[in-house]
Amino acid sequence: MDWFFPEGIYTIAMVGSFVLGAFALKLPIAIALAAAAAVGALCGGAGFPIRHLVEGTFGYLDTILIIASAMIFMKSVQRSGLLESLAARIIRLFRSMPLMLSLGLMVIIMIPGMITGSSTAAVLTTGALVAPVMIKLGVPAVKTAAAIAMGAIYGMIAPPVNVPAMIIGGGIDMPYVGFALPLLVCTVPLAVFSALLLVYPYLKKGAGDEEALEEDLSRMEETPLTAGLLMPVILLAVLMSGEQFLPSVWPPLGMPVNFLLAALSSLLTGKKYNFLEASREAVNDAIPVLGILMGVGMFIQIMTLVGVQGFIVVSVLALPAWLMYFGMATSIPLFGAVSAFGSASVLGVPFLLALLGLDEIMVGSALSLLAGLGDLMPPTALAGIFAAQVVGEENYFKVLRHCFFPAVVTAVWAVVVIMNANTIMGYLP
Amino acid sequence: MKIKGTPLTALLLLALALSVSALAATEFKSMWTDDLFVPAPGFEKHMLSEWFDGLKGTPADNPVYIQKGEEPGGTVLILGGTHPTEPAGMMAAVLFLERAKVSRGRLIIIPQTNIMGYSHTSPQEAHPRSISFTTADGGKRTFRFGSRLTNTLYEWPAPDIYIHPASGQQLPGKERGNINRCYPGIPDGSPTEQMAYGITQLILKEKPDLSFDLHEASPEYPVVNAIVAHERSMELAAMTVMDLEDMGIAMRLEPSPKNLRGLTHREWGDYTETMPILMETGNPVQGRLRGRTDEKLALTGVDKAYVVASALGRLYIPYDGKQTIEYRAGRHTTSILAFLDNLDLLFDDKGVSVEGVPNLAELEEKGLGFFLSPAGR
Repeated sequence: MDWFFPEGIYTIAMVGSFVLGAFALKLPIAIALAAAAAVGALCGGAGFPIRHLVEGTFGYLDTILIIASAMIFMKSVQRSGLLESLAARIIRLFRSMPLMLSLGLMVIIMIPGMITGSSTAAVLTTGALVAPVMIKLGVPAVKTAAAIAMGAIYGMIAPPVNVPAMIIGGGIDMPYVGFALPLLVCTVPLAVFSALLLVYPYLKKGAGDEEALEEDLSRMEETPLTAGLLMPVILLAVLMSGEQFLPSVWPPLGMPVNFLLAALSSLLTGKKYNFLEASREAVNDAIPVLGILMGVGMFIQIMTLVGVQGFIVVSVLALPAWLMYFGMATSIPLFGAVSAFGSASVLGVPFLLALLGLDEIMVGSALSLLAGLGDLMPPTALAGIFAAQVVGEENYFKVLRHCFFPAVVTAVWAVVVIMNANTIMGYLP
Repeated sequence: MKIKGTPLTALLLLALALSVSALAATEFKSMWTDDLFVPAPGFEKHMLSEWFDGLKGTPADNPVYIQKGEEPGGTVLILGGTHPTEPAGMMAAVLFLERAKVSRGRLIIIPQTNIMGYSHTSPQEAHPRSISFTTADGGKRTFRFGSRLTNTLYEWPAPDIYIHPASGQQLPGKERGNINRCYPGIPDGSPTEQMAYGITQLILKEKPDLSFDLHEASPEYPVVNAIVAHERSMELAAMTVMDLEDMGIAMRLEPSPKNLRGLTHREWGDYTETMPILMETGNPVQGRLRGRTDEKLALTGVDKAYVVASALGRLYIPYDGKQTIEYRAGRHTTSILAFLDNLDLLFDDKGVSVEGVPNLAELEEKGLGFFLSPAGR
């Protein structure tokens, strides 16, 4: 009881008030998190600490700028016609090769998540784009949605941008450097597996409506895929690679500026569009995620202030080894119902500390994969809900049902990677 | 719960956001006032810009205190506050500043080395903004707590990757604000790199024989209750560790890694002629396993989360339920005094004699505040 009181009570108060706010009162997740933080401070005898609530949000200032600018980039290349044109080209190229097409579609779904670090961005951009095509190619709607949801999560975890890994690494002062290959190890096998499980069997059958598909492809190809149209993507790749590989000579522009420059370059190519309006729409779309980040920042600061974080961390460290792996495979995705980012910070960091001795980068990468699964966890289940929306399925649980098996495989793969982190890193260049 | 947005709700939200911002800004600005130091008689106050004029008029310009003894001898430099989240380092330097009577040689003290880290606290750490001590006359002395890194007002935006100029070593971008990754510094670099350059210039010009950089570390990190010594300082450090063992103070002795660049124990040794020493004590308030985070934790180190972590074998310090600032600062003062004795033994003409600085036993008996000068003096 000494160990549980009072920090255990504060934990229940904070989590309970979040659940109440988010699910009973249907408050936006960000507001529910902020309210739970305020309740935690009040219970913990800290009053209403404006300093702490505001200070907590600043922990994600850079992340927020990256996501907002990445969303502007995505919206810009969508409006310029690049995304549609690129998707159509890939389908045409690989249409007669169902295996390659299955994998290609998975890559297309993943790309926005890889660039923005947000599964929501992936579902709502390329996910929305390929959904009708996949259905036309013969994939059932719920399986299409499940593939999009899983692809979006793998995209969110795949390099170059993985926010949960940044959060977990930041917790032990580990730079977000050298994560590219470990994150590919974590995500590529699973993406291939999900594509083979959810998409390939139907493409192989070739049960699609060829005429409707051709109509869709022709519409998508209205803007021809030229080198000029690809310029924003090429520019972004150059800007990011330059900073990554030539840091001593490349000006340190930072990811937000890289995204904005690439977004602006799309004005010179493809369809004409209103950049300000596209930017406003992008930021508007991103605001719920940005708000969640700020809410998580407040929540974490108050958890630290009143001792809840130490209580959770040390409780987790006290688990016996065999239980710890099971604990991390279940608790991190479950806590993701609050937010994958919050789960990464609150549970990812202590698990990483508990596993010091194994390669930190590989373990951090695998923990971020578990955190990513949080976006499938109802009732928030951002990836599942949005994926159901884009295929017109009202009951997102039908989608989640098809995500269940790939999600279990994902969790098992994450644990396997963690347990063999040093061996796997030994094989990587 | 859905509320229909109207221009009125937008205005109300804006007003609310502005009010919260104004209140928060007032609180943050309270950290912009410099701390009070009451140097012992004999100390002269200088500014770091006297050694590197590029710092003049910038927030990186920093007070440097020098006391010269009657007899000639060596020179010793003490840096506290390299990381403002490690208060025992700063308080040990303050004890030397406010109590030391130098009879031989010269003592140079910078109590808040990264002064640009004292004007803010780090997000999501929930650290206290200040710590206070009761002085012998019942008065109160307060010192800011601060952040490990330079205030982002001066070091933002951070690059994605920080390239250490002297070695090409790659670090996360925010480490550019960590002065103990920036040595030897560069004259035209970021504010923190310039400040590191200023300190290197001070060492090159004043030629301290022995230089201390006082730190604290999380109890769960391996390099704690430790002395990290450059090759040149190793013999002196080994003698001191043995003396400390005799006094019942267990101390690890770690060689300065040659491939970990930008730190005092490496760069001061490689770029100047001083003997660099970095010292660490165990500080729960900066640890990841800590429970309730407040001024009390910073001062007492009392934390039941660390009691449990200790029982689980997760710590690198013996933890009996507390780590008072008296104990932590006392380890530093006692170690420095032991170093001074051995400096005199090893290098006859480089001795520095200092009296009046409390050791570990005295600090634990009377409390740290007892040895601070009253604020009104």
